[in-house]
Amino acid sequence: MAEMTVFLGPQHPFGHGLWTIKATLDGEVITDADPIIGYLHRGWEKECESRLFPQIIPMSSRLCYGSSLTWEHLYAKTAEELLGVEVPERAKYLRVIAIELCRIQSHLMWLAALGTDLGNLTVFLYAMRERELLLDLMVKLCGQRMTTNYPRIGGVRNDAPENYERDVLRVLKHLETKHKEQIDLNDNSSIFLSRMQDIGVVSKAEACNMGLVGPSMRASGVDFDVRRDDPYEVYDQFDYEVPVRKEGDAYARYSVRIEEMYQSAEIIRQAFKQMPEGPYRVKVPRAAPVGSHVARVEDPRGESLMWIVGDGGRTPYRLKVRSPNFVTLSLTKKLLLGYRLADLPAIMGSIDVCMGETDR
Amino acid sequence: MSKLEYMDKYPQNTTTKGFILKGMWVTLKTMVRTTLPGRRPMTIQYPYEKEVIPDNYRGRPGLVMNKCIGCGICAKICPTTCIEIIEIDHPELGKVKRPQVNLGRCMMCGYCAEYCPKDAMVVTPEYELASYTRKGLIFDPYELQWDAVPGNEVHMEEVLASEINDPNAKYKAYYDLDRPEADDSKCIGCGRCAKTCPASAIEMIVVGKNEKGKDIKRPKFDGDLCVACEQCVDVCPKSCIELKEVL
Amino acid sequence: MYDLYSFSKDIVDLILWIVCGILRTVLNINSFCDWLESDNVVGVLVYIIQAVVIFAAIFIVCLTMIWQERKTLGRIMDRRATQVGPLGYFQNLADGMKTMVKEIIIPDSADRMAYDWAVTIVIGTGVLLAGMVPLSDRFFLADYGTGLLIIFAIFSLAPFAILIAGWAQNNKYTLIGGMRACAQMISYEVPMLMILVATVLLAGSLNINDIVAAQQDSTWFFIPQILGLFTFLVAAVAEAERIPFDLPEAEAELVEGWQTEYGGMRWGLIMLGDYFRGYVAASLGVIMFFGGWDGPYLPPEIWFLIKVFIIFFGMIWVRGSLHRIRTDQILNIGWKRLLPLAILNLLVVVTLKVWGVY
Repeated sequence: MAEMTVFLGPQHPFGHGLWTIKATLDGEVITDADPIIGYLHRGWEKECESRLFPQIIPMSSRLCYGSSLTWEHLYAKTAEELLGVEVPERAKYLRVIAIELCRIQSHLMWLAALGTDLGNLTVFLYAMRERELLLDLMVKLCGQRMTTNYPRIGGVRNDAPENYERDVLRVLKHLETKHKEQIDLNDNSSIFLSRMQDIGVVSKAEACNMGLVGPSMRASGVDFDVRRDDPYEVYDQFDYEVPVRKEGDAYARYSVRIEEMYQSAEIIRQAFKQMPEGPYRVKVPRAAPVGSHVARVEDPRGESLMWIVGDGGRTPYRLKVRSPNFVTLSLTKKLLLGYRLADLPAIMGSIDVCMGETDR
Repeated sequence: MSKLEYMDKYPQNTTTKGFILKGMWVTLKTMVRTTLPGRRPMTIQYPYEKEVIPDNYRGRPGLVMNKCIGCGICAKICPTTCIEIIEIDHPELGKVKRPQVNLGRCMMCGYCAEYCPKDAMVVTPEYELASYTRKGLIFDPYELQWDAVPGNEVHMEEVLASEINDPNAKYKAYYDLDRPEADDSKCIGCGRCAKTCPASAIEMIVVGKNEKGKDIKRPKFDGDLCVACEQCVDVCPKSCIELKEVL
Repeated sequence: MYDLYSFSKDIVDLILWIVCGILRTVLNINSFCDWLESDNVVGVLVYIIQAVVIFAAIFIVCLTMIWQERKTLGRIMDRRATQVGPLGYFQNLADGMKTMVKEIIIPDSADRMAYDWAVTIVIGTGVLLAGMVPLSDRFFLADYGTGLLIIFAIFSLAPFAILIAGWAQNNKYTLIGGMRACAQMISYEVPMLMILVATVLLAGSLNINDIVAAQQDSTWFFIPQILGLFTFLVAAVAEAERIPFDLPEAEAELVEGWQTEYGGMRWGLIMLGDYFRGYVAASLGVIMFFGGWDGPYLPPEIWFLIKVFIIFFGMIWVRGSLHRIRTDQILNIGWKRLLPLAILNLLVVVTLKVWGVY
């Protein structure tokens, strides 16, 4: 049968953002896949060149609105190291707590999108219902649900509100007992297993060579996590595990992310126990010295970097972002080649696509 | 790659680990629990029922009219440049400058409330802001008014770099610390800074007489009234005023 | 017995009495009235009234089934579903009105004749089947000797029409969707037919009345045919194209599958046709396994409908809990798992029959 080119195009109830896959099909088997991105380019890096240093923080939370705290923290960290500012201890602990809450929330949203891709809307609603609890925690902390604008250059915006520890621990307990049963709706369903196992396999060598990062890389056997191996803030003070799997298929990526949620809960508990009293924000200079700095953090999707160049004024000269999803999407052809069209949502769902940070 | 090689990559058997029945049991429990009279589903029926919004929720910005001095810091710090300082008629004070917000551009970041030195800009829990025209979204200072409770205010509390490890350090903000300084050699004594200062913190004092016998005036900055809004820095024709930061 | 035929005849007699009375006395037209009151014309009018009554009843039953599905699915997902009307019953009417006023966009390069006629066949066979299934031994349109076989035969006309509809819309998604749907439906009809054969062996005739009467004499047929029950329910879910066998209209890759280019009320009627097919599948299950309209106290039509709603609840529960199965796995299940089970079921039935148990 002749080969057919199908554009799984920008307007699609795919669920994952705005991009196109140009797939060439032979019957139902995919012989070629070409991702086309760039629909969501907003000129973010150029816009930042005309903003003062504090004004870029709410802009960076809109890079990826699902994991907005991580991007704000990345920018605040880079700017602090350029300006030569040291952050108080309590602020570091508060940042870690907020980032890990954001990681749990981002993984829940990924789980919901995966459920819709495979046809099960119940999983979507159960995951979103638990995510609402986490968003309420965010509201209590800083006033907004998603684009939080919480870290500042030099600390955080405000201290933890009263009874915050009690509320957070309550939500975590609910997540680990009652909701675990409903997440296992996936794990114990043999339909789910048969759709996700042995699909989209990436071997360890290929992951290293092609630059795959994040939970997808850890599902292929590469044991690297920026939080543990290049610690920033106070991540070296905690005792947690980094989940790693060997198979590299979609099911391994799924289970790595689910396990990461529970490890984040562990980190939050330990952070609350170890948090000292003290100030949470430091006054920073308005103008930056001449120089540049690179910083990296562990985003829920992988390792993200930011490079900032200062020229002596109050605005940065250049701000460059390397997003993990941009690199992951370059692997589309490798992931999809040889599998059927019906596997495409399962594979793309397990990668956790977020187009906001890819196109910037 | 031939077609046969594609098929070989493909798994031949579905797995038999576990059953589908556990998932079905979970959904049945949820269905029974939400149908029985005691417990409702998790959804709320908007717009008949609304969620409880806390005081610190960042909805649209609000203005406490009697605290605002028209310094313009909110307009400078807004990342989307949606705040514009316009002249309005105040019933008691005459013509004053107050902020006007274009809610179509506002990203509800809360910076105007955080950087405001007098806590006149506050965050409000109002989020139902739809309008039929773009003009309807531009809120002039009278529409922007809000009766603030203490929970709506956003305070900027910083410590100096030397006090990082001190748990009892007092919190201060930039408007308490940074003060402008004039360079005497460049100043021409025009007095524009004193006219523009919204907090009336600059006074032109006579420091001597020049060759022609006229007074030489130099600005004197009052440290208690100044809010570090940098309007004097922007308006000085010789760029002789600089904001001195305390770190 | 006072059945639907007598009821319709009474209505026709009443109408003719009024109309002919007026015509004869006021206008003095006698020959036309004589022709109207002749046996042939009365017979035709009775059939028309019967068909209208049955269609109205089935239509209301199907709307209730859609309401049941949406409400139950909502509670499974921890949300409230339909809100219009008391307990949300009129939501379907509101949706129907909305669908009617939508703009119908027909692609320019679609094959018009195939586009129109294919979808007409799909919807038409669905409605035809829904009218052919009797609700009890007095609420039926025609009592024909080979009842069950004709229903299955018309049931299996749909895959061909879906294939042509998928091709006629000149769209790659619909082509793929149509082919998948056709392959899936064809491969699930074979186990269903095997189970039909087993039921017919047990009951001794293809006539629906006889099958139900046989179940009233002995036990309901799900006891000897327990394997057949399970197989039939899986095959019925696959025939009605519901989740988990939903791949032809999978939203993740193919926007709506073979229905993508149908807009407005055409799509509304396709949805309704899908529910008619689901109703027919569930009611065949009730007739073949659960005794049809057998039951104490309540009128037989109400028993039949209660059983249909219970089986449909099972289908909704499965829809809410499971993921979609991939196409080749669906075909695997159909040919490699269900067909041997259906043949095993046939063996069991033959054994029981030979031993004289049934």
